[in-house]
Amino acid sequence: MTCNGCEFKPDLYYDDQFQIWVSKEEDGTLKVGMTDLSQSIAGKIMHLRVRKPGTRRPPGKPVATVESAKWAGPIPNFIGCVINEGNTQVLENPKLLNIDPYGAWIARVTSDLPVDEALSVFLTGDEARKGYCERAHRDDIHCERLT
Amino acid sequence: MANSDFYIDNDEQTVLIIMTSGPSTPSRCATPFFLGSILSAMDAEVRIFFTMEGVRLIQKGIPEKLVAMEGGKTIIEFIRDAKAAGVKIIACMPAMPGYEINIETDLIDEVDDVVGGGVLADLILTADKVISF
Repeated sequence: MTCNGCEFKPDLYYDDQFQIWVSKEEDGTLKVGMTDLSQSIAGKIMHLRVRKPGTRRPPGKPVATVESAKWAGPIPNFIGCVINEGNTQVLENPKLLNIDPYGAWIARVTSDLPVDEALSVFLTGDEARKGYCERAHRDDIHCERLT
Repeated sequence: MANSDFYIDNDEQTVLIIMTSGPSTPSRCATPFFLGSILSAMDAEVRIFFTMEGVRLIQKGIPEKLVAMEGGKTIIEFIRDAKAAGVKIIACMPAMPGYEINIETDLIDEVDDVVGGGVLADLILTADKVISF
């Protein structure tokens, strides 16, 4: 489904500003990526850098930095975790974040807490959809993808 | 880019950006915020200290209209991006009278603190890196 042309996936987990998404992997790790809202705000992404694998990140310390021609900022982090790896394909070609934001994961991390406990700080499902659409409308964000 | 360049591995540091440029040189007024945002996203504790003509960038009515380049984002958008990334905005009190800026009524809401010159001296002496624009 979409809001203002911004794609939303109900099975993912989101922060309350819908900057990032988190997915639960079968091996117990979590993948982190940018939402369609975030990639649209950033514009064409030129550089992506991820914290070195093995680095511990407390809540509030970003997992990566993103730079476009008009915007620079963090990929924020909301849980205690350790960086497992960056997505090499996306690191080499960051505009994949603009093409397929939900396929182009940025980092895979291991949570300090049990996964379900860690995910409890995020929004998902219908509650997330409502907030996601509210932000798209409130901030008048209209999403565009690169092709 | 070498694979190691994809990963960030710096220590936490404090960075002080002294912003002296203002509306008379718009092309110098966006990059400091962009750089501040990146540094903050890389765990640096970043403060941008506005003094001399730089204080006009935090005067209500100026950054909302000013652009560094034609067709580009306004300076207030750059300031807000930097704030969202964690950058602190500090204003120099002694610079205000010369530009007839009233610190009670004329500053944008994004300003975190208004301080005297002695605080700037402390910030310079204690920062790991000091950059001036």
